[in-house]
Amino acid sequence: MSYGSTPVLVDVGLTVPAGAGVCVTGENGIGKSTLLRCVSSLQQADEGAVRVFGAAPGDSPDFWRAVATTVEPPTWYPGLTVREHAELVCRAHGQDPDESGIDEALEKFGLAGHADAIPPSMSSGQKQRLTLALVLLRPSSLLILDEPEQRLDPEGRAMVAGMLAEYLSTGGSLLLASHDDKFAVASGAEMVSMEQLTGPGSPAGPS
Amino acid sequence: MTAVVALRPVRRWIRKAQASHRDRGDALATIYTVVFSIAVLAVMAQDTLRAVFSPLVPHLSGVGALATAACATGLIHLALRRLGPVSVTRPAAYFLLTAPVSRPKLLAPSLLATAFGAAVAGGASAFGVLGNTVAPGSSLLIVTGALFGVLLALLASAAQSRPRLASITDTVARIALAAGLAGLVAEATGWTPPGLGGEAAASVVVTVTGALAVSTMLAFLLGVRDLARTPNDAILESAKTAGTLADSVYGIEPSFLSEMLERRYWATRRLRSARLPRRLPPLTGQDLLLARRRPARLVWTAASTALPLLLISVPRWVLVIALLAGMVIAAKATSATIKTDAGNPVLLRMLGLDSRQVVQQRLWVPAVLGTVWATVALGLLQAAGGLPPGQWWAMGLALGPVGGVVAIRAARAGFVRNDLIPVDTPMGSVPTGPIVYAFAGLDLLILALPAVITLLGDRPATWTAIAVQAGAAALGIRAYISWTTDPSRVGLAR
Repeated sequence: MSYGSTPVLVDVGLTVPAGAGVCVTGENGIGKSTLLRCVSSLQQADEGAVRVFGAAPGDSPDFWRAVATTVEPPTWYPGLTVREHAELVCRAHGQDPDESGIDEALEKFGLAGHADAIPPSMSSGQKQRLTLALVLLRPSSLLILDEPEQRLDPEGRAMVAGMLAEYLSTGGSLLLASHDDKFAVASGAEMVSMEQLTGPGSPAGPS
Repeated sequence: MTAVVALRPVRRWIRKAQASHRDRGDALATIYTVVFSIAVLAVMAQDTLRAVFSPLVPHLSGVGALATAACATGLIHLALRRLGPVSVTRPAAYFLLTAPVSRPKLLAPSLLATAFGAAVAGGASAFGVLGNTVAPGSSLLIVTGALFGVLLALLASAAQSRPRLASITDTVARIALAAGLAGLVAEATGWTPPGLGGEAAASVVVTVTGALAVSTMLAFLLGVRDLARTPNDAILESAKTAGTLADSVYGIEPSFLSEMLERRYWATRRLRSARLPRRLPPLTGQDLLLARRRPARLVWTAASTALPLLLISVPRWVLVIALLAGMVIAAKATSATIKTDAGNPVLLRMLGLDSRQVVQQRLWVPAVLGTVWATVALGLLQAAGGLPPGQWWAMGLALGPVGGVVAIRAARAGFVRNDLIPVDTPMGSVPTGPIVYAFAGLDLLILALPAVITLLGDRPATWTAIAVQAGAAALGIRAYISWTTDPSRVGLAR
């Protein structure tokens, strides 16, 4: 995978076993986000293969019902409040909005006071927390999160790490990129650096 | 305290610095192109312009003329308020607004340009009203209209720095527009307005216009002084408006402007979270919520069903275009949601819905709005005797869903594609991207052909014609959904 003449990912191998969590670490610009985008099918690798649950990732509804990600910068519907966005996501996945814990999730992420706000009016940190709340509210089998600890205060980081650990304990799989080792450990994900994944005959990560 | 810096040398320096980056003939070439284009368009559209401004058979009564003038006043004021009206360019907003320069001197050129534009609009409106009015009127009234336009610009400028005045003037302008339209519709449907007592004496017109000229001059001087109190946020907002408008025009990308207006509208609203209707599919419920949250738009849409009544006596094709346009505009009330999805499907991925589910769920509200609009508009036209016999309300029911699918297709077009190859014509190179964009959606109006043929041919709306229209709409919408959506794909692009 390269941007123009600059190679970003060369000979990368990574396997995330179902029900396990892997946290990719590494310095800025090393290709963590690109790797997550390739796994999410939001970017096509020049060569090689990506398999998610045994199939090539793509634009199919089955894939996106199984995979929830924060890799992309979010957009928001006009005229819809924070709580209504959460309710819409739950309704689209066939969940009962009254029983899916929307208010608890907003409370946990410190957004209860902004439930009636429209997302574009919130700060970038609040929008980040809302995106995390949405991906954790909806059902999924694999979470792909790009630096979820960004823009969160220490308490928020501990809480999100706890929620990710709970997600793993319920059988979900987790692939995340992070700069915060403490956060990664608390989330229950196994840490692997980009250097470990790179190179011919790479050990395919923590498989 | 920082001393006030003279603005003129700063502006002169900016102009000189800019001039060094430009070709010498650039400005002249732009002026030539603009003047040439206006001249060509004026010659091409001279018959239409004459029909609009000075028809052979004038039809407006005295009250009708006043109603038209009220509409023009309301529209000019609302347009000025939407633009600012006092504004600066975006670079000036960044560099000069924060500099210690005289605020009135910084903003005066903008006020002058606005006043000039408003004068042209006011004068043109007065010219149009005079040309359409049965009773003769002094041509000096065109000057009166222009002066009134300048006063409107000054009023809008004063309102820019006074929120309370802004609220009052906006309300008055909307009432003037609504009352004017109501008067015109009432007259078109057979109401005989009272006479206004003949033509005003020339001396009265001269006196009134003279007094207006003096007051306008004084008001302008006061207005320039008053510019000092225009708040920074108001200027920054109008600078953004002017900049986005320029981007839309130069980039031939109307979505820049519509997105800005949409963002600005919701930024000023205080919402309270509501529950999405349980019995409706989630996206239909969301669209319904969005439509309910724009009550003013719904009221204007409802009121606009009466506007085709004004076109009973004009050529039938004009009425048909107005009917189709009104139906599509009514159906576009919630198209912002599908525009969001088409521009970036990140939320659709979050929702995990396929493109067919999305389009089917999002089609309901536009189809219902288009149907209600078409049914009421055609029903009113028939009640006013403007249509041949038949079940025109049922024709509205059969036609309306086409408005919905046109709105959906237009919203799915996303952005203008500027990568398409331009077409060379004898008139010059024509960019194809904006043309494709402009016709996205409108091409589906072919599904309205049965109703259009019935209307143009002045034929009665028989049950056969209605069934043909209903069949065309149903088959067309079904084909559109099955060809442009896929249950195995999430994104709406195509």
